[in-house]
Amino acid sequence: MVELVLRGIFSAFFVASVLRISTPLILPALGGLVSELAGATNIALEGIMLTSAFTGVVISAYTKSVFLGVLAGILSGILIAALLAYFHLYLQTDLFLAGIALNIMATGGTIFLLYVLTGDKGNSSTLASGAVPNVTIPMIHDMPVLGTIVSGHNIFVYLGVLLTWLTSVMLYRTPFGVHLRAVGENPVAAESLGINVRLMRLYAILISGALASLGGLNLSMAYLTLFQREMTAGRGFIALAAVFLGGRTPWGTFIAAVLFGFFDALSNQLGSLKVPSMWVQMIPYVATIVALVVYALRKRAIYLERARKFQERHLAELQARGARPHETG
Amino acid sequence: MKILRIPAVREFLRILLAVVAALLLGFIITLLVSEDPIGAYKAFLTGPLSKFNRFGDWLEESITLIFVGLAVAVAFKSKQFSLGAEGQLLLGALVSGAIALFVPLPGILRIPVALLAAAAVGFIYGWIPGYLKAHLNANEIVSTLMLNTIALKLYDYFLIFHIKPPNAGYNASDFFPKAGVLPSFVPPFMGEIYTRFSQQTNVTIMLYIMIAAFIAAYYMMFRTPFGYELRMIGANIKFANYGGINTKRTIILVFAISGIFGGLAGAHLAMGIHTKLIMNISLGMGFEGIVVATLARNNPLFVPLAGLAYGYLRAGADVMERASDVSREMVLVIQAIIILLVTAEGLLPVIQQRVAARRSANGQNAAALEGGENG
Repeated sequence: MVELVLRGIFSAFFVASVLRISTPLILPALGGLVSELAGATNIALEGIMLTSAFTGVVISAYTKSVFLGVLAGILSGILIAALLAYFHLYLQTDLFLAGIALNIMATGGTIFLLYVLTGDKGNSSTLASGAVPNVTIPMIHDMPVLGTIVSGHNIFVYLGVLLTWLTSVMLYRTPFGVHLRAVGENPVAAESLGINVRLMRLYAILISGALASLGGLNLSMAYLTLFQREMTAGRGFIALAAVFLGGRTPWGTFIAAVLFGFFDALSNQLGSLKVPSMWVQMIPYVATIVALVVYALRKRAIYLERARKFQERHLAELQARGARPHETG
Repeated sequence: MKILRIPAVREFLRILLAVVAALLLGFIITLLVSEDPIGAYKAFLTGPLSKFNRFGDWLEESITLIFVGLAVAVAFKSKQFSLGAEGQLLLGALVSGAIALFVPLPGILRIPVALLAAAAVGFIYGWIPGYLKAHLNANEIVSTLMLNTIALKLYDYFLIFHIKPPNAGYNASDFFPKAGVLPSFVPPFMGEIYTRFSQQTNVTIMLYIMIAAFIAAYYMMFRTPFGYELRMIGANIKFANYGGINTKRTIILVFAISGIFGGLAGAHLAMGIHTKLIMNISLGMGFEGIVVATLARNNPLFVPLAGLAYGYLRAGADVMERASDVSREMVLVIQAIIILLVTAEGLLPVIQQRVAARRSANGQNAAALEGGENG
């Protein structure tokens, strides 16, 4: 039995499925990262994903166009993000409470509209919605292992990797990214240097909305090809956890999201063993808490190290001047 | 209009305005989607009072809401954004349910033991993110969300592998024996009223515990040194630190005490309402607590009012769904709008500015008068 599971894990199909399961986490996690680095933790990722997943399905079903569905989905996600930004930045609503409110609104609103449109509260199976096509990479597709892993996924899987790279470039290699991080690091200092904090945060939240909505569309137009009530199932929150597990860097976030995907896929594989799936499913959550602790300890160690060095240098200077510490006067 | 200058009155009016605006918006939505919008909205607004058992549903729901509302209010008052009520509730339900099922004590002992255990497990499960926040500065939103999922997995694991009857085809425990079910809040000697309440509703002695809990929470927050520290940390943690408050200890205790209420909410769901352990026993109750606490502006004194008001909306939505073509999820949209409107500090700046301007004008007049007298 164990051998069966091991063989399951070390197969190309398993790696491919990990990629597929991780993508709806990677995309919103990148969104969470961008707004987090700008100092505006986006709790509404979940609601944004849900809204875009729903809008994409409905619009693609009524226009018969996948492209329009995706476009409308992204716009709807940005709209929710804009609402969040408006309430937080312009009406001084607490960011956290506004995010929670928008999540609740998205949960209720999508089910409500689903019922209005289809007469069903569970899923949109009566709507003929579109699916994003899979990509077959010409040469690689026919190779034995690599083909299974790399080729034949839906567009979002490739977008996930590409956008991680782009986010990394944006955050660390462009003036915009530097300003954005400066606003998150120390808003007062950034303001004094002439950076418009509010505007930067607005951009960050909107970008975060666009990225999260891609995650939602991935769920309803590629991973599945219909909308289910509450289909995001907490992914927006897991994405936020991935940001912290990944040490608030793009590739760290990417790896953390893949880790969540890995354990998810693993718990499916373990169905054949007698290990209760809950224990496996728990691992990434425990790991995130451990990561929070490690991150905090490391930060403290760096701080202490700096303080120690400063003290040493200070003492050395005193000795050089011929004065002995603690024996003044 | 002197009364308008009392901050509490203005706050209350503001919340009332937000609720009315949200209900109006809900009515507009109903107009758009329903064939009988008046009937639907009437069912929504009067539903909980239309039948005795619905009245009971409303009270039962409100008791749970008030407990999670207290859990959230205590934490939020000190600006600790703990979302852990969900996890504490699940573990509280699990532990109290297990005791109600398996511990062979008579009812008079079994119930207090189960309630105490639920409170204790909530305390411990709240302590964890508190410690992480206080000593390691770990983001409490993330840590409590993670702990919630861990609690959910623990709950499912124990329910499926240990608590449910071995050969049952469904994922639920047996019904609790009578010694493990909370008794009705009406004492048995009251005859007619007792039979009515105990047969048609599940309103239990948890009602009294809830009243005691909210008074205790209020007393703790506004009449004890600890409550002062808690509010001080919420107002300005740096200042609290300079003022010599042991902020770490206080923060940990805030999380843990908040957990007690979460655990008791779980006990109420398990031993009061369902009288057995089921899958998905909570369904986002922890987040509902945020609404209640927000409506009450994190003041335990107003949590029961907010819980009853919000419980009324939820119970009304259930009635509306059964009586009309409008689904109950509309109440979620109304709920979201209420939170947004109540918490939008910048929403009424014009009005507030005018009030402030008038007050300062009055103040100047008064000063001028005093000056005149002196001169």
